[in-house]
Amino acid sequence: MIDKMMNTRLFQWVDERTDLGAIIKSQLTEYPVPKNLNYMWNFGSLALLVLVLQILTGIFLVMYYKPSAELTYGGYTVAFDSVERIMRDINFGWLIRYMHAVGASAFFVVVYMHIGRGLYYGSFKSPRELLWIIGVVILLIMQGAAFFGYLLPWGQMSFWGATVITNLFGALPVLGEYLQQVLRGGFAVGDPTLNRFFSLHYLFPLLLAAIVGGHIHALHVVHSNNPDGIDIDHEKDAIPFHPYYTVKDAFGVGVFLLGYCYFVFFNPEAWGYFIEVDNFVPANNLQTPAHIAPVWYLTPWYTILRTFENKLVGVLMMGASLAVLFVLPFLDKSTVRSSRYRPVYRQMVILFFISVVVLGYCGHSAPTATLKVVGTIATSVYFGFFLLLPFVHKFEKTRPLPGGE
Amino acid sequence: MTDKADHSRRNFLYVAAGGLGAVAAGATAIPFIGSMLPAADTLAAAKTEFDISTVAEGQLVVIQWQGKPVFVVNRTAEMLERVKGHNDKLKDPMSEAADSVQAEWMDSDEKRLYRAIKPEILIVVASCTHLGCIPLFKPTAGQKDWGDSVPADWAGGWHCPCHGSYYDLSARVINGSPAPQNLHVMPYEYKTDSVVVIG
Amino acid sequence: MKGIMMKTTHFSLLACLTLMLAPAMASASGDGVALRHAEITFDNETLRKGLTVFTDVCMGCHAAKYISYRNLMDYPELGLSREEVDELRGDKALMSGLITELSPEDAAESYGKTPPDLSVIARARRGGGNYLYSILTGYEADPHGKIEDGSYNIYYPGNRTAMPDPLAWMGHDESETADLEEQARTVASFLVFIGDPHQLERKAIGVWVMGFLILLTLVLWMLKREVWKDVKKH
Repeated sequence: MIDKMMNTRLFQWVDERTDLGAIIKSQLTEYPVPKNLNYMWNFGSLALLVLVLQILTGIFLVMYYKPSAELTYGGYTVAFDSVERIMRDINFGWLIRYMHAVGASAFFVVVYMHIGRGLYYGSFKSPRELLWIIGVVILLIMQGAAFFGYLLPWGQMSFWGATVITNLFGALPVLGEYLQQVLRGGFAVGDPTLNRFFSLHYLFPLLLAAIVGGHIHALHVVHSNNPDGIDIDHEKDAIPFHPYYTVKDAFGVGVFLLGYCYFVFFNPEAWGYFIEVDNFVPANNLQTPAHIAPVWYLTPWYTILRTFENKLVGVLMMGASLAVLFVLPFLDKSTVRSSRYRPVYRQMVILFFISVVVLGYCGHSAPTATLKVVGTIATSVYFGFFLLLPFVHKFEKTRPLPGGE
Repeated sequence: MTDKADHSRRNFLYVAAGGLGAVAAGATAIPFIGSMLPAADTLAAAKTEFDISTVAEGQLVVIQWQGKPVFVVNRTAEMLERVKGHNDKLKDPMSEAADSVQAEWMDSDEKRLYRAIKPEILIVVASCTHLGCIPLFKPTAGQKDWGDSVPADWAGGWHCPCHGSYYDLSARVINGSPAPQNLHVMPYEYKTDSVVVIG
Repeated sequence: MKGIMMKTTHFSLLACLTLMLAPAMASASGDGVALRHAEITFDNETLRKGLTVFTDVCMGCHAAKYISYRNLMDYPELGLSREEVDELRGDKALMSGLITELSPEDAAESYGKTPPDLSVIARARRGGGNYLYSILTGYEADPHGKIEDGSYNIYYPGNRTAMPDPLAWMGHDESETADLEEQARTVASFLVFIGDPHQLERKAIGVWVMGFLILLTLVLWMLKREVWKDVKKH
């Protein structure tokens, strides 16, 4: 089909002026991809799809959303009212808003699977270190964008979530207080905070789009890793991206949309995981909800924060838990990539995944003595993974790689 | 299975997938474009009630309907006389050119002359049909009150300051104006003798 | 091939683990007494009865500002006629929300706090309709005798509520139980409905969307298998 299109005169007219044909060839029809990728490699294209959906739905929501904390009847605000107007009066406003809210969680589901795949199969290792690092930047911007976005409905969780997180920055020595005021635009979270968060919530996805472009470019320079983690022969073991991976990714999109649309149409609140119950209570700066927790995708880091008695240490450790991802490619010294051939690393990375899930569970629940112990153990496992990593290659006996290397 | 059969199956699946994908994309576009149409509360506010007894004889009042200005004029008997007898100077004396310049109730020559349900009460959209400016109300005849901003044979009506369109006292556009149509009439009905529901 | 399957199971295992934890996490967030189960339905009769309870009882103190009188006609689930709405609204504007006559200041003076707006109350409380139903039928005498009658509610967090028994549940005659429970059930249904008034439409559209997506995914799966036959050959 692409061949036919490329033979049209219109295409050739464009091609002579842009070299489009060469781009399509090098990036799609002749771009080599290992033929042994499993379905874990679908999450990259899914992440791109969700990003597009989020930007698209966001643009339409902004047509009606009003970022103002001015009080209206019943203790609500202009912002809360505008969200409810989208849900009630705008044609299909409920659909677009639920797509956006469910999309936020879907984005993290997809990206966490994508990162997990990279960890398990050693996709962060040479020569893909920078590809991984760009990915970590994307993760941080996503978390920022999600955090800014969560303030916009101006419900109780919006308000108190923003209060708690901006307070974190206040814990930093010397600069903390100023940083906090820069974020809030006042001495507490209020109308100025809402306006700047709205501005940044619009900016960050555009940054994301640009950086994702860089991520894909970097990928196309170093090419995809594969489940065996070995360098492949581009002649023998690779197939062109199009049509093989376009149809495989399209199938993945179908499966993804089934899950996504189930939540959008039948369970948009996802039992309070995607849209929290307390966020239907209008923001009240004089009353904290009985139990406040961030949305599920930020809870693992919230637990790390809570684990430490000292506020500053907690904040720094939370920062470290994310920052350590930047240096991950340089911590792991093994020459073998995939967990398939690394028995010790495989156990470690599985334990690491479990620790993240447990951390998430702890962060979502109200703090209890037992959970505190569990959280501390999970935090130790989380950091233990990175601390042990530089030494694994010294004692790990890797299995023989296919191809007899 | 031969290679040929294989090929047609593949082509069929490509076309089926492409077709369904196009349907999906098209269906997705509906709610997005739909969301840009006026919302339910905006539509619900699309009717305006107005008490015409508040407009004195010979007076013009500008009210709002769907965010647009609307002229309500209480024409005197003398003003009603002045809309007669100059059909030859009008682009569309019988208001036939477009649906938006006429209404179902314009079923007689008299109704087409006065362009109103009650002859004295003229209700029209106050946007010049040229480029949407609000025309100025210049009800008296001749140049006495208006100088040379109106032609010498001025019978009273509206003058649009933006590009010089003229309308008579039934808001019908006068020859030589850049405006293509008479001022538009909108649907309205009398709820009581004095309360009119516009929209 | 078998190897690939083995390895990918770890990820599915993780996914399963997360899914299994989800219900546990959900029940962990509820507190104290188990709520009474309410049969929430959105049939016209229930919603109209619920609306009547709302306007006769709740609206004495509470508002539902996101629901306008006009909405009562426009949402097909409620489907009131223009005449019914005109009678209900009196001299209030058609576009006005269901606003109580009680001013927030007077309410604060009488009850110690402003009664919350009820537009999204069913979504703003854990348990939703069950919670509302339970609260309305949860007034009892305090077994410890500390909280005065009419302020003690077994389902309210902390048991002391500022809302005086609206349906006069406490000490009601046994012959009235069924009627009071029906009032509580219908008004709870009404409140769940107005919390998300497009929910029935959403689910109806959702069925078509899911059906279409199943077909699309099936075709894409067949296409993927077909195209990948080339790869398996080598």
